[in-house]
Amino acid sequence: MAPRRDYYEVLGVGRNADADEIQRAYRKLVRAYHPDVNKDPGAEDKFKEISEAYSVLSDPETRRRYDAFGHDFRQVPPDVDPAEWARARAGAGARAGAGGQWRQARPGDFDFGEGVDLEDLLGGMFGGRGRRHWGPVPGADQEAELTLSVEEAYHGGRRTITLPGGRRLEVNIPPGVTNGQRIRLAGQGGHGSDGAPAGDLLLITRIAPHPRYRVEGRDIHASLPLAPWEAALGATVAVDTPGGEAKVKVPPGTSSGRRLRLKGRGMPNPRGAPGAFFAEVRIMVPARLTDEERRLFEQLAAVSHFDPRGRS
Amino acid sequence: MTYAIVRPIRLDLDSYARATGLHPQAVRRLVTLGLLEPTRNARGELCFAPSQVATAARIQRLHEGLSINYAAIGVVIDLLDRIEELEAALRGLSRR
Repeated sequence: MAPRRDYYEVLGVGRNADADEIQRAYRKLVRAYHPDVNKDPGAEDKFKEISEAYSVLSDPETRRRYDAFGHDFRQVPPDVDPAEWARARAGAGARAGAGGQWRQARPGDFDFGEGVDLEDLLGGMFGGRGRRHWGPVPGADQEAELTLSVEEAYHGGRRTITLPGGRRLEVNIPPGVTNGQRIRLAGQGGHGSDGAPAGDLLLITRIAPHPRYRVEGRDIHASLPLAPWEAALGATVAVDTPGGEAKVKVPPGTSSGRRLRLKGRGMPNPRGAPGAFFAEVRIMVPARLTDEERRLFEQLAAVSHFDPRGRS
Repeated sequence: MTYAIVRPIRLDLDSYARATGLHPQAVRRLVTLGLLEPTRNARGELCFAPSQVATAARIQRLHEGLSINYAAIGVVIDLLDRIEELEAALRGLSRR
């Protein structure tokens, strides 16, 4: 478990902040990180941390004890002198953490009881009144964005993702995920209280821009560079698709901008027909012509009556 | 001629109260405030769709976490739903 942050740091207030300042900082943070307002999977832990910090710092007595003893203040009996405690801690540390000196006090001796559970603390602090007619509360749904490359979206497969907040999760991505599709992971969302079911985690997939492919729904668009003679005479050329190489037949007399459709070569569809792959023709010419090529082009220019800008 | 009877699953007031951990009286209050949308069965009793259990949990979390009173939670929920819709629409737009 990560080291616990200082409660003042959590609320973003100084050590000598007054009660109003603490309350103000808490209200602002809790609005931003409430699990029903903020769907980020990291928000829930943040919310709990903020609530815990406030529950301690909002009460003058617990705050005083927190200032004196730090995070362990619940383990310290009420009548201990802070300076003495610090000395004992230092000593215990030197004796390899044998600090059992204070553990002998029975739990009942303490103001708070031992091992205060976070859920109890949350339940308690949200007004004891609520506890009576509210039972266990199921957790909130959370949302996270999952960015996939075109190839990953095409093939699917298992993938380990790290959620904001640090939780790692292995997810099964179905083949043929589209942009904006939601993958629902039941029970992986916010925690429920008192053993109530957790919420769901919705992964919203985003397909990352690709240097060659552009995905629209299940259709994939790519440009198809052709030599002028291939475009004029027709050809069968190889084109890369996410599913592997495909052959595309270029009919004679194809100009730039024409889209050649490869049926079924787009994104797979678990429920129906797969999308199409569109290869958009772009006629390329050599940047530098050899003497022979130049001669042939000049010959073609002299012979041809073709005018691409002709107004008929 | 026969018709297939497809009866959607509905919870009556008591089962709903049990599922949500609410007192039936509290459920009635949330209905009166327009926070829950029950239907009525042939006998005029309140019936709840199972999805309404999650609705109650959200109301509960908002009430406890942000100290919002029940009357105001309606507005908050409507606004949150609208933001969600708009964000989804925005995601759709940024795709092109």
